Amino acid sequence: MTMSFKAATPDLPKHFTGKWNKKSYHVLRELGRGANGTVYLVSQGGVQRAVKVGVEGIDILMEVNVLKSTQQGRDSKVGPLLCDVDDLVVNGKACTFYAMEYLQGLQLDEYIKQEGTDWVAVMMVQLLARLDVLHQHGYIFGDLKPQNVMVTQTDKQVRLIDFGGVTKLGNAVRQFTEEYDRAFWHAGDRRAEVSYDLFSTAVMMVRLTVGTETWKNSLGDPRHTILLCDIIRKSDSLYPYREPLLKAFHGKFATAKEMRAELLAVLRDSMGAKPQKKQKKARTKGNVGAGISGLFVASLLLLAGTLYYAWFM
Amino acid sequence: MKEATLRQILVVTDGCSNSGMSPVAAAALAREQGITVNVIGVIDKSELGEKGEKEIRDIAEAGGGLCDIVFPQQLAQTVQMLTRKAMTRTIHQVVNKELKEILGDSGIEELAPDKRVQVAGMVDELGEKSSLNVVMLVDTSGSMKPKLSAVQQAIHDFSISLHSRSGQSRMAVGSFPGKQKHLDIRIPWTEKVEQAHQITSDLAMSGITPTGPAIVEAIALFEQDKLPRSLQERYIDQDEEDDSNGMLRDHVF
Repeated sequence: MTMSFKAATPDLPKHFTGKWNKKSYHVLRELGRGANGTVYLVSQGGVQRAVKVGVEGIDILMEVNVLKSTQQGRDSKVGPLLCDVDDLVVNGKACTFYAMEYLQGLQLDEYIKQEGTDWVAVMMVQLLARLDVLHQHGYIFGDLKPQNVMVTQTDKQVRLIDFGGVTKLGNAVRQFTEEYDRAFWHAGDRRAEVSYDLFSTAVMMVRLTVGTETWKNSLGDPRHTILLCDIIRKSDSLYPYREPLLKAFHGKFATAKEMRAELLAVLRDSMGAKPQKKQKKARTKGNVGAGISGLFVASLLLLAGTLYYAWFM
Repeated sequence: MKEATLRQILVVTDGCSNSGMSPVAAAALAREQGITVNVIGVIDKSELGEKGEKEIRDIAEAGGGLCDIVFPQQLAQTVQMLTRKAMTRTIHQVVNKELKEILGDSGIEELAPDKRVQVAGMVDELGEKSSLNVVMLVDTSGSMKPKLSAVQQAIHDFSISLHSRSGQSRMAVGSFPGKQKHLDIRIPWTEKVEQAHQITSDLAMSGITPTGPAIVEAIALFEQDKLPRSLQERYIDQDEEDDSNGMLRDHVF
């Protein structure tokens, strides 16, 4: 993204073998560039893997350090699994790299563009589950943005990629992107707290739902969360989620799990609302009474809810 | 290892220096004194040109630091990232040197990757906990004018980043060219810049860009700790005096 001319990642040879672990890699193509290095698609012993090579070995090693620390759990599906850490020699100079599981899929923003905004809330709920695991390991993700979230092709699972921003709780966030950064929105500092990630998640949800045009037109200077609230108020898809979103903006959730539960509750309501109408038409006479009384209760609840939200906003 | 104080100068500019000593030599001088020099080139529509790019790269190299060229919108995050990476690099070099003393000739490169990952974790923690002093040098020559609001935001933003660290951090901001000297101190050493200062008013607009002399004067800022109290006046925020506000406005953008 930046027009960087920091010593570019050295061109990889087509084949290379790790200096220590002696695994051989065949380079297929470049997958992308992060702040710390370049990721390539490679094949190693017939298996596709992603390999990240950086200019500064220490940055790569720090990523490995957090990848390792967050992978102690057995069923960790937070990010890609780490496969190998080694050096390769390019032009006589040793370069540190690591190999990881190759996650085939689409970046979250591309995925939403392709599949529609109905998926946003579902993906956020999934993402929050991943974040919760990371948080329980004592880390926050830091640089949350759609480009760092991958939806796998086969099982439509959300996975985090690019661990360059992952930060130990309590430290200063290592890497961020202004658009999703709490401090940039004047909503807090950059200390690594659970609420920092949740803030970014909420901004991401808004960003993905409204599309690029609305997003760009709605942003003013200085940035303040009031602008986000305005967008939410105007968007039919976001409005039902205003309460959890606002709470995230103001750091009111203690855990990702809490935020997830609230998003999920709204999501269930909104999913339930559509098919219910169809069901009612199909109902037999005997059920009509129950249907009507149910409707009455529902409308009462809705009214109470509206009043509450009117007060809340 | 002792908790170190890391010292950095961060130059924000949009073109070539054209006055006084070579900024590359000035950066080398800074490095000699244990100060790392990082450079960010801010470009708008116009490019920096080959000469400008080369100078930026050369200053950073001579100053043992890092450089980047970005659009104004990316300035804030670049400031934070360059600073952190340069810090990591410095600590890494120190750790490596100590390792070499322990292990003989072979430094960290000769350790197996697994061990190095552990060292990286240690470097990371040291970076977070060590003290950090940064002087930000802002080029305020004429062509920078449209970019100054971004710079102003970046200054405030940087202070938030510093404040979020566990270790002690201080920053100072200077602009060049200054009115009388090469460098004007806009924000004296502080732990937190409370708000974005007005950068656009009160500018010494000129075609002169004395990047080299400004770096040399910035080096002096790091020596103020050793100065007797009476000599610190120039750098101290005199908020006890009533009439200091007017004076401060002169100093602040």
